[in-house]
Amino acid sequence: MNELLIDIGSTYFKVCSKEGISQHFRDFKKNIYDDLNTKCADILSKYAKEDTYICSSANGGLSTLIIGVTNSFSLKYAKNIAYNSGINIIDTVLYGKIQESKIPSETLDVVIIVGGIDSVGGFFDEKLFAYLKKLTYSNIVYVGSSKDAHYLSENIANLKILSNIITDKLKLNEGELKEYLTNLYQEDIVGKEDIKHLYDITSNQIYSTPYIVNRSLPFIDAEFDVVNPFIVVDIGGATTDIHYSRDLVRDNMLTESEYDRLVFKKLGVYKSRETLIHAAKNNEFVYELLAYLNVTENILDEQSEKALRILMQLSIFLVLCKVSRLNSVYVTLKLEQLKSIVLTGGITKVLTHEECESIISFFYRKIMNLHHIPTIVLDSNYDIWTLGMVQQHHQRSETCR
Amino acid sequence: MKVVTGVVGNDIHVVANRLIDISLQARGCEVFNLGVNTSLEEFIDAVVETDADILLISSLNGEAEGWCRDLQFLRAEYQLRDVVFVIGGNLAVGEAKDSDIVPKYKSYGFDLVFHQVDLNTGLDALEQYMKDRS
Ligand code: B12
Repeated sequence: MNELLIDIGSTYFKVCSKEGISQHFRDFKKNIYDDLNTKCADILSKYAKEDTYICSSANGGLSTLIIGVTNSFSLKYAKNIAYNSGINIIDTVLYGKIQESKIPSETLDVVIIVGGIDSVGGFFDEKLFAYLKKLTYSNIVYVGSSKDAHYLSENIANLKILSNIITDKLKLNEGELKEYLTNLYQEDIVGKEDIKHLYDITSNQIYSTPYIVNRSLPFIDAEFDVVNPFIVVDIGGATTDIHYSRDLVRDNMLTESEYDRLVFKKLGVYKSRETLIHAAKNNEFVYELLAYLNVTENILDEQSEKALRILMQLSIFLVLCKVSRLNSVYVTLKLEQLKSIVLTGGITKVLTHEECESIISFFYRKIMNLHHIPTIVLDSNYDIWTLGMVQQHHQRSETCR
Repeated sequence: MKVVTGVVGNDIHVVANRLIDISLQARGCEVFNLGVNTSLEEFIDAVVETDADILLISSLNGEAEGWCRDLQFLRAEYQLRDVVFVIGGNLAVGEAKDSDIVPKYKSYGFDLVFHQVDLNTGLDALEQYMKDRS
C-alpha cells in the first residue's frame, strides 16, 4: 500500500500506512491539524498530498425534524432516507397532529416536509407555517406532492424544493433527497474550520467515515470470515452506527442501495457517555444485564477501565435493542436471520471476543428467545475502514481515466 | 377512479390480489396495490396520500374480522367520509351465511361486502354503486 490513510474521530484518530495502523487519543486543547502534526509528523512527511486520504466523523452528524402526512408513507420514507444519509432524526410530526406536537428546543440542521403523490394537493395550511415559526432551523426542504410546492414556497422562506420521495405508484424515490442530505452532511463535516485545514496535507476529497464504511460493505463477505446477512456495528466515541443489508428489513420498500445505515448520535462511550448511561437506565433489561456481568449499577458512575468495558458492552446491547422488535421507532431488523455481527471502531481495541460474545448471547437469549447466536467478528485492525478507503480511491481513479 | 387495494393482516394469499390489480386496471382505474400483509393503518394512510376514491381490501385466510374492527375509528380520525370502503374474499372461518356476515362488516364501516363472491360479479356491483352514488 502506497497511500496514507487517516481517520479523524471525535475521540481519537487513526493512521494507516505501510508500517501498519496506529491510533492516537485526541488532545482537545489543540485543533485537529496541530494535534495530528504533533503526533504523526514523521509519517506525514513521508507521504505526498496526492497519496494522503482522509475521512472524518469528528462531529456526530446533522439533526432533522420530519413533518409528514402519514406514518406509513411520508414519514416512513423520509425517515428511511434520512437514516441512510447519516442524519439523526430528532423527532417526527404527523401533520394531522401538528398542533399538539412538541417543539424541539435545539437548533435543527434541516427540516423535511413531505406528503402526497404528485397528482394530489392541498395537504398543508396555516398550521404548518405557525409551527415552523416556533422552530429554529438552518435548512428546510420540501419533498412532497409537486402540487403543493408553489403554495409552500410562497409561504416558507428559503424552502428548497426537490422531487417527490413518493412516486405516482406510492413507492419510495430516494434520489434527490438522499443526495441533498448526503451533501449537507458532507459540507458540514468538511466545512468545520478544523477539517478545512487538513486540505494542507491532502489533495483528495475528505469524506465522512460512515460513507467510507458503507462503501466497503459489498466486499466484506469476500474479505472476512463473514456470512450474509450480516450487520456492522461501529461503536465510536460520540456515535454508534449500524450498517445493515436491506434484506434484513421487515418491509417491502423499494430502494436502490443494498446497504442502509442507522446512526445513534447519543450512544457513544466517551463524548456522549451521559446520554448512553441515561439510555441504559431506561432500558428495562439493564439491571438484569448488569447482574449477568457481575457488577452493580454503581459501575456506571465510576471512571475506570472496568467501567469503560461495561459501558461498551452496554452500548452493544442497547444498539441491538434499538433495531429489534422492542423498539419500533427505528428500523426493525430481522435479527433472527442474522448470520454474522461485525464489530468495528474503538470498541475492538478494548473488548475481548469473549466479552462481545457474552453480551450478544445475553441479548439473543433474553430479547430474541434464541440460544443460537450469529458468529461474531472483531475488526480489530480497522480492515473495514481501510477497505472502504482503498475502494473509494480506486473507484475515483477509475472514473477519472 | 383511484383505488387502493391489498390483502389485510398476516394474509399471504397473493393470487386474488394480482387478479384484482389487473381487473381494476382493465376497468380504467388507477390502482395503488399494497400487496399482501398490509395493516389497516397502511391502507388508510395510502388513501390519504393518494386521495383515493375507493379502498378495496381483500382477505382470504379468515382473519379479516380481527383486523377490521378498528376501521370506524380510523375512518373518523382521518375524516374519510367520501371514500367507499369495500371488502371481499373469505370473510369468515369455515361455513358462514351472507345474512350474518354482510351486516357485521357493514357495522364495522364497510359500504360493500363480498363474501365468497366471484371477483367480476363484485367489481360489477362496485361500478354500479359508484354510478348510483354520483
Ligand atoms: C393456494 C392457497 C394457499 C397458499 C397461498 C400461496 C400464495 N402465496 O398465494 C399457501 C399454501 C401459502 C396457503 C396458506 C394458508 N392458507 Co390457504 N389456500 C390456498 C387455496 C388452495 C387457493 C387460494 C387461491 O390462490 N385461489 C385462487 C384465487 C384466484 O381465488 P381466491 O383467493 O379465492 O380469490 C377469489 C375470490 O375470493 C375473490 N376475491 C378475493 N378478494 C376479493 C375482494 C373483493 C372485493 C371481491 C369482490 C372478490 C374477492 O376473487 C378471487 C377470484 O374470483 C385456498 C383454497 C381455495 N381453493 O380457494 C386456501 C385457503 C384460502 N387457505 C386457507 C387457510 C386456512 C390457509 C392457512 C391459514 C393454512 C395454515 N393453517 O397454515 C395458511 C395461511 C397463510 C397466511 N399467512 O395467510 C383457507 C381459508 C379458510 C377460511 N377463510 O375460512 C382456504 C380457503 C382453504 C380452506 N378451504 O380451508 N394457502
